[in-house]
Amino acid sequence: MNPVFSLLIFLATSAVLVAIFWPRTGLIARLSRYRRLEERVLIEDTLKHMYNCEYAGRRATEESLAGFLETSIGHAVRTLARGEEMGFLRFEGLEPVLTKEGQQYALRVLRAHRLLERYMADRTGVDPVEWHAEADRLEHTLSRDDAEGLASRLGHPLYDPHGDPIPTAAGGIPPMEGQPLATLDEGEIARIVHLEDEPPELFNEIVAAGLGPGMRLRLLDTSLNEVQFEADGRVHRLSPAVASRITVVPAGEAVQLPTHSLADLEPGESGQVLGISPILQGPQRRRLLDLGVVPGTEIRAEFESSAGDPVAYLIRGALIALRRDQASLIQLVAEPEVDDAAAGRLEGAEA
Amino acid sequence: MAITPAAPCHGCAANRDEVLVQLGISPGRFDYLVALAGNPNTGKSTIFNSLTGLRQHTGNWPGKTVARADGGYQHADHRFKLVDLPGTYSLQAGSPDEEVARDFILFGQPDVTVVVVDATRLERNLNLVLQILEITDRVVVDLNLVDEARRHGIAIDERKLATELGVPVVPTVARTGEGIPALREAVYRVANGETATRPYRIADYPPELEAAVDKLVPLIEDTYPELPNSRWVALRLLNKDERVEDAVRTGEIGVLASDAAAAATGLSTGRGGSRPEVASISHATAGSLALAEGQVEPASPGQAILRRTEQLRWQLSPDYHDALTRRFFEAAHEIAQSASATGLRKTKFDLDRTLDRIFTNRWLGFPLMLLMLAAVFWITIAGANLPSRMLGVLLIDNLHPILSNFGASIGLPGWLNGLLFDGIYLATAWVIAVMLPPMAIFFPLFTLLEDFGYLPRVAFNLDSLFRRAGAHGKQALTMCMGFGCNAAGVVATRVIDSPRERLIAIITNNFSLCNGRWPTQILIATIFIGALAPAHLAGLVSATAVVGVALLGIFSMFLTSWFLSRTMLRGEATTFSLELPPYRPPRILQTLYTSLIDRTFIVLWRAIVFAAPAGAVIWLVANVSVGGASLAEHFISWSNPFGLLIGLNGVILLAYIVAIPANEIVIPTVLMLTVLTSAAVAGVGEGAGVMFELESAASMGVLLQTAGWTTLTGVNLMLFSLLHNPCSTTLYTIYKETGSARWTAVSALLPLAMGFAVCFVVAQVWRIVG
Repeated sequence: MNPVFSLLIFLATSAVLVAIFWPRTGLIARLSRYRRLEERVLIEDTLKHMYNCEYAGRRATEESLAGFLETSIGHAVRTLARGEEMGFLRFEGLEPVLTKEGQQYALRVLRAHRLLERYMADRTGVDPVEWHAEADRLEHTLSRDDAEGLASRLGHPLYDPHGDPIPTAAGGIPPMEGQPLATLDEGEIARIVHLEDEPPELFNEIVAAGLGPGMRLRLLDTSLNEVQFEADGRVHRLSPAVASRITVVPAGEAVQLPTHSLADLEPGESGQVLGISPILQGPQRRRLLDLGVVPGTEIRAEFESSAGDPVAYLIRGALIALRRDQASLIQLVAEPEVDDAAAGRLEGAEA
Repeated sequence: MAITPAAPCHGCAANRDEVLVQLGISPGRFDYLVALAGNPNTGKSTIFNSLTGLRQHTGNWPGKTVARADGGYQHADHRFKLVDLPGTYSLQAGSPDEEVARDFILFGQPDVTVVVVDATRLERNLNLVLQILEITDRVVVDLNLVDEARRHGIAIDERKLATELGVPVVPTVARTGEGIPALREAVYRVANGETATRPYRIADYPPELEAAVDKLVPLIEDTYPELPNSRWVALRLLNKDERVEDAVRTGEIGVLASDAAAAATGLSTGRGGSRPEVASISHATAGSLALAEGQVEPASPGQAILRRTEQLRWQLSPDYHDALTRRFFEAAHEIAQSASATGLRKTKFDLDRTLDRIFTNRWLGFPLMLLMLAAVFWITIAGANLPSRMLGVLLIDNLHPILSNFGASIGLPGWLNGLLFDGIYLATAWVIAVMLPPMAIFFPLFTLLEDFGYLPRVAFNLDSLFRRAGAHGKQALTMCMGFGCNAAGVVATRVIDSPRERLIAIITNNFSLCNGRWPTQILIATIFIGALAPAHLAGLVSATAVVGVALLGIFSMFLTSWFLSRTMLRGEATTFSLELPPYRPPRILQTLYTSLIDRTFIVLWRAIVFAAPAGAVIWLVANVSVGGASLAEHFISWSNPFGLLIGLNGVILLAYIVAIPANEIVIPTVLMLTVLTSAAVAGVGEGAGVMFELESAASMGVLLQTAGWTTLTGVNLMLFSLLHNPCSTTLYTIYKETGSARWTAVSALLPLAMGFAVCFVVAQVWRIVG
């Protein structure tokens, strides 16, 4: 057969195969996503949305539900009617409200969702921007026993990786706390307790900025078109829309904002650990903790590899090699600052 | 299980047996159950081997791909069953290894838990010891590697350590067996209760945890007033200890707590408070009986405790865990400081550091590495040449005809004679002759480098390169092992404890050109590529071609790693950490000897299990006739068009199919099949189904070319030999290591698909250009 011909056929076939099978953007991946529009899935998502609203002190409406489910308002109305039939919600006037059964059902779905996110954060390498969508997909397939088993394996975690509490099997959940970032006083230090994952575009921006629950920040300035704050040794600027997705709790007076990391140490220098950045969760974090990277530990950088990365550190008597991206997430206590005024006075006195 | 009066009954013996079965241990047939725990790389397996000798059995933990070994030994007329738990840094149940270890100690309730501790890294190791002491009292600490500690100027006072920890501490040197008898005795004494342990319990937890405990303890004491250690129970509940939770829920907690007290045989224990004396134990037992009779009611007092615990857990900050770990390390630090003296010998420390500076130097690091590897390869090839030839002469040139004639002389029918001696025996002999010498040289050398401590530095240097491909620095080492034998390379991936990186290393190991494929590459390169060059350069040119193919293999490995980490293995977990152990003078003779023996057995086993059947198949395929032609001829003519399309031919395809078991027999099979199917060269060789090789590369070249082979065929054969499915031993090993049919299939099909694609493209381009 003419070789040019066979080459062309080969290339064409390869292209077709890629288009069909490539993960997430391929035909098969897309088709499996469309299977979500079953009724049970719709009902569960509705109850979840209503619960989230009520937890935050609001009421769900037909419009908000239509937005959440990404369908038409008519479809949302029909779904609500179906939910009322099934006894999960009732109408107070025109507003839908969850019944006791509806609440319990919603909490179970929420529990499954947040456990799955915790699982993905702790035990897999799935990208943070994908957690929510994946958990959304899988929460409907998790039975109550499955959820229990998962919780047990994860050591019964209390919070999901967004900072949200995971309802217990009995349906217990603590009340919501915290205030929006922009409402802090200027210069106040606070801890991020929650990141809203809807809509995904805004959430992705927050993740891309390197922010996560548990992180400490200091509000610098708020204005009409931007919110400025300091975190992780850098200054962040976010639009008010994005910043509204961040809920914080004031951290109190005696708290330090981390400025240095292990990656700043040159061979021969040492520093004291302040903590591991909250961004680093899951098996990586646990491994570092197990190796002795806990607040108060002295770590000394010993030598670099031939390629410059990783670097070998002396940690609690053992020589451990860490990559730069890991080292940059290990926060160090800032060195005590030299009192410039006093130094100047001394020099002046000598002169 | 023998229950002596001195040994406390562990709640329900029947219950424990059930649990043991679930954990994969068959109950009965032993007196005491001993668990062996410890950090990775502490010499735990050596201790395990010293204790059990050859009476051990390996497998996997039920439902997991975590490897497990258990064995037994006798001591003082009692039978001990020893279970080797996976090496873990802690018991936080963050990985399957840790889950397994924690579940076994918690639910399996071993009579004694031995924790192997590295004397050169006491502080870090004590973290695990303290965590284990939190959930069981019956612990013996095995202080291993004391000779290493001495060499580094560290002296540990084991009596002081034992006093601080409250459990027996036995110093050992696993390599020599020093201290093992004392270890057995200490284990026995703790198991039968002769030695009372008073385990160290952390007295002051982080403030918020202490606050939660203070709120929970009164409720527990109100409900179970005769409990001697309500603080311990409160801590376990707040840490979500499921076993304690169940016991509280059902009221069995009285029995469980009295165990912990009984282990101290009535003495006042713990540092957090005094416990009532012996009288309380009998009260506890009586109390628990009453509770058991009362049975579980819907709103039992146990439920109230659990509800309160749940509320209190919510009040803990999300990262209270960090503070808890820190407390453990502080305690470990205090204890380690008080029991050890360091810096007794300054000079040795500097030697380590100097060596490190040289090996990881920006300019010297890489060249030194390449030099070491080149040396290992050169010694292997040069050193194996003569022994291979001698083995070949012995087993093939001499023994084979003798066996054939013997068979004929005792009246074996022709076909049976052929099947047994021309097929099975010949294939086995071939594999042994080709594989044994290189393996017996390559691997001992590698083990020496590993013992010395150099290999982690190689991983350290190459890590950034591998990280860009989505892999782990230690893959450099498994890749090098793969140049010896792919199956060994796959087993070596156990050192990569991150699941994703481990899978990548396993799947791509096949791209390392293993020892079995070198002869094929060298021969074909000499015939088809060296022949193209002027005579005085022929050797150099063919050597360059082979090195080029090996480099292509390495390149494919990086490419495939990158591809896998972006697509199929995207979501798997990843953890990186690399420990750089201190340098150790290798015991050269001992290592060479053990490694040699090990390797010999493996090669022989593999030859018999995999190559022998292959030999049978080869002989049958060439001799069984259907419709006037042998099966081989049918297949070859059927597959020839496809073969030619991708620049090979039907003979090569058939040869690779029957040689899945072993790459070494590809060339002899190819020659035999060529003679069988090509009229132009009929009459050469030993007959149908009998593999052979000719004396010189040149004569083999003539044979092949007469049968229609071109340079393209040669080039593509070299490429296909690099990029095809792994041999059956490797596939079997991959299946055992991953426990997944899916990944084994990927490991087989991915290289094969790449091989076909590459050969196809090369053939088309060759034909267009040439």
